[in-house]
Amino acid sequence: MSVPSSAAMPELKPARSEGQWAIVFRRLRRHRVAMFCFVVLIGMLTISALAPLIAPFERDEPNLRARFLTPMSVDNDGNLRLLGTDHLGRDYFTRLLYASRVSLGTAFFATFLASAIGITLGILAGFFGGWVDVIVSRTLEVIASIPTLVLLLIVVTVFVGREEDIPIPRFVTSIFAGFFAVQTREANIVLLVNIVLALFGWTVTARLMRGMAMSVREHIYIEAARALGASNFRILVRHVFPNSLPPMIVDFTLGVNAILLAESALSFLGFGIQDPTPTWGNMLNNAQNYMFQHPWMPLIPAMPILIASLAVNYFGDGLRDALDPRQRG
Amino acid sequence: MTTFLIRRFVQMFFVTVVAAFLSFILLYLAPGGPIDELRGAQRQNDGMSRVDQTDVQRVRERFELDFYLPFRFSRWLIGWPSGPIFGAIGADWQVGCSIPGQVRLVYPDGRVEIIEEGCEVPLTLASIEDRRVSNGVFFGDFGLSQTILRDRPVMTLIMSRLPYTLSLMGTSILLSILIAVPIGIYSAVRQYSRFDYTMTTIAFIGSSLPSFVFGIFAILIFSILAQRAGLPYLPSGNASGARDWVMPYFGRIEAGSLVDRGLRFIMPVGVLTFINIAGWSRFIRASMLEVLQQDYVRTARAKGVKERMVIIKHALRNALIPFITLLAGVLAALFGGALITEAVFNWPGLGRLFIDALGRHDYNVVMALLFVNVVLLMIGILIADILYTIVDPRIRLS
Repeated sequence: MSVPSSAAMPELKPARSEGQWAIVFRRLRRHRVAMFCFVVLIGMLTISALAPLIAPFERDEPNLRARFLTPMSVDNDGNLRLLGTDHLGRDYFTRLLYASRVSLGTAFFATFLASAIGITLGILAGFFGGWVDVIVSRTLEVIASIPTLVLLLIVVTVFVGREEDIPIPRFVTSIFAGFFAVQTREANIVLLVNIVLALFGWTVTARLMRGMAMSVREHIYIEAARALGASNFRILVRHVFPNSLPPMIVDFTLGVNAILLAESALSFLGFGIQDPTPTWGNMLNNAQNYMFQHPWMPLIPAMPILIASLAVNYFGDGLRDALDPRQRG
Repeated sequence: MTTFLIRRFVQMFFVTVVAAFLSFILLYLAPGGPIDELRGAQRQNDGMSRVDQTDVQRVRERFELDFYLPFRFSRWLIGWPSGPIFGAIGADWQVGCSIPGQVRLVYPDGRVEIIEEGCEVPLTLASIEDRRVSNGVFFGDFGLSQTILRDRPVMTLIMSRLPYTLSLMGTSILLSILIAVPIGIYSAVRQYSRFDYTMTTIAFIGSSLPSFVFGIFAILIFSILAQRAGLPYLPSGNASGARDWVMPYFGRIEAGSLVDRGLRFIMPVGVLTFINIAGWSRFIRASMLEVLQQDYVRTARAKGVKERMVIIKHALRNALIPFITLLAGVLAALFGGALITEAVFNWPGLGRLFIDALGRHDYNVVMALLFVNVVLLMIGILIADILYTIVDPRIRLS
């Protein structure tokens, strides 16, 4: 066998090492729909973060001489009502901005809370097994066998209207009042809805995390870490958690969508966050009462629900593809 | 199999009781409730119809609030205690408190507050002897409705609403299967075709959006805009109309007639069906794609079996296995799955009943619906597990 001459050999480039996350980001950037949805989401979050600055009117300021104004109309004081006014003459655009703060804030915060609970319990159950696993798994089964929406309705009904009685420290309430851009007395109920949604929303994450932890636990590098004298805590935080992160990230985006829709559904049914505090759900609920006379009304709160939900889902879908190690490129 | 079933039944029993107990505690222990509503009404009427101690007493009795919680729950669950045991034993045992003691608190700044503390008149087993009690939920008696249909059995209420929910869910599930299965198969067989792309996009949108938004859009398009444009339109809300109405091009439609009912049926069924199709067609497409890659499908093709037969006989049969188990979960959805859709379309089914009952503090109705829902959900899970073993012999129950 003759050695091929160097001229015929294609030049070999030095292998450039590319980190796992760099690969994921490169794949994600190529996914056009996912990137577009990501931009839309960031846009919505920015708008909701800036809501109090952008809002042209007071959130709850009624104007009975300017009720049911159609979008882009001018009220009798000469103010432009970008998205019209509602049944009390409150500015729809302003309320929609504040509502996005509450709805999106709830979607992300409650999902964050649910994921934190689910990941912690799931990782403990999967890694340690034994009685920890038994307790977590049984709790999961009980919660999974209760119809969630029905129970959510019960819990929320029971507390709405008596939110002052919920023992939440004052400073916590004011922090969240700032986060959700609501008044301090409204923050209690918003926070309650968040907590309730999180308490019923952690099961999927926990089950997933438990499975991941159980499989990661068996890997040789865990044994190596243990041989080097790493503590359980260190193994969990430095090895098990990072290695089960990818499915958790996808799970988080799915959770955001689920909680966004659950909060909207609760508020839409009139059981969640109540009227002076705007959310997309309760604005839609109000609009439904007047839609026969003013068909444009439900469109305005419904559109952001549609857009946010689709954007989150498509982004999550793209993320799943990007994180899938079986995919090449 | 027998040990599996026994274990599962015991497990189901405990889960049901725990779920029921938790909701029971929540409903009754929470602030608010019927007594507060009564006092609220008093405050509004300012003196016109004064609520006195006997009124409060009567309401407490109606809602069994004078029992201690564990006894209240056991009375609801198994109808016990209903009086002294064997006529005499325990006649003076205290199971509750008919009139709570009141303590006047005078604050240093002059405010006076009356709080309930202790018990002035205890409730004994002897004093509840002539009190009405249900046979207990475990024996199929859901007790009496407290506010919606005063003193009529909850069962009557449920039975009057059940046909609406059943017809709605039954029709939409049947339609969804008939439409979703062919779509799923065709999408899988023609993977990446234009049809497949269109269908997966529609299904993706359909399964990620909430039913109430669909419902509102349906009302907006088929009811309001169609009516405004002078086209034939679908009435929205309720199962039958209250008065006759005129449909353009078709003429007068009598309230409560079959046509009227049928037209009002279309939109809620349509919305539910669309959402089901979106989820199920994706599901069938995925499992069909997996099966089509199997060796036995290639073998069948290699033998020269017609493509049609390969798809229907070799692939579809196996692809439907996971779908059948998915359908077992539908059992619970029959009962409570249409809650939001019923609310949007004002459909007088069980979901609406549940929401009404919650709003009006009819706890017996709430608990009955929740109980039935939990039981159905668990039977559904059980059936799914058993079906798995029947359709797939590789899985064993243990």
